Amino acid sequence: MSTHVAFNPKLDFAIERFIDAPTRLVWEALTKPEHLKEWYMPRPWGRVARAELDLRPGGIISIDIAVGDGPESPNVGCVLEVVPMQRLVWTSMLFPGYRPAVFDDIPITAIMTMEPVGAGTRYVFTALHRDAADLETNKASGFYQGTEMAIDQFVAHVLALK
Amino acid sequence: MVPVMGHAPAVDAAFHALSNPTRRKVLERLSAGPATVSELAAPFDMQLPSFVQHLAVLEKSRLVRSTKRGRVRTYEVVPERIAVAEDWLSARRRAWEARLDRFDDYVTQLKEKESGS
Repeated sequence: MSTHVAFNPKLDFAIERFIDAPTRLVWEALTKPEHLKEWYMPRPWGRVARAELDLRPGGIISIDIAVGDGPESPNVGCVLEVVPMQRLVWTSMLFPGYRPAVFDDIPITAIMTMEPVGAGTRYVFTALHRDAADLETNKASGFYQGTEMAIDQFVAHVLALK
Repeated sequence: MVPVMGHAPAVDAAFHALSNPTRRKVLERLSAGPATVSELAAPFDMQLPSFVQHLAVLEKSRLVRSTKRGRVRTYEVVPERIAVAEDWLSARRRAWEARLDRFDDYVTQLKEKESGS
């Protein structure tokens, strides 16, 4: 599938990392629920209570997170695109099966891409927002900071898999 | 009879929940009607994980409860639990008023004794 994504720095953010590990492991850590549980939630903030990922367009991505000893918050969205070891796209605008979502948080479309660089992998996480106000809110709420923390945990987790 | 002592954990939880300005503001907002996490968080200049923790303390105290629909969590007050804090304060006031009444009686007696002698 050819995909056109218009990244706009006024609306979106991207976080890029070089991971000194084969792309195969990066993909595995990104897509297997047992791995997601280990890195998705910044550890100082809380934990992943449950993770589910059905790797096909329309499939479920569901990662329940809990802050401290608080109630579990459902993070549920819809997988849009899966190209093994290259690209995973999901959105929180939709529920699984493309059902229009019920939400009161800031919706995003998340694009995760990876490509081999030498013996390692270049990994990019991109979050698309509806507008500049959404991006601002997500930066103020800690979403951006939390995503950076989670990606650092992700990199450490992948390296530990080697 | 130990009604007040029996409620001690609930009273502890209620006053702990009330001991924080953010949590009191959230309760004030919820007194006007139910609200979602985003609506509640909007007025506060605070990162969401910290704010969610305040909601967790309030919910643990059972002063508020939440329901979930889709990805939306909606909070509302539990009036019966607010009464726990109110009852505790009323009981203290009654005790003090009774004590003041007894003191008043005692002083009156002293006065009568003095004028009688």
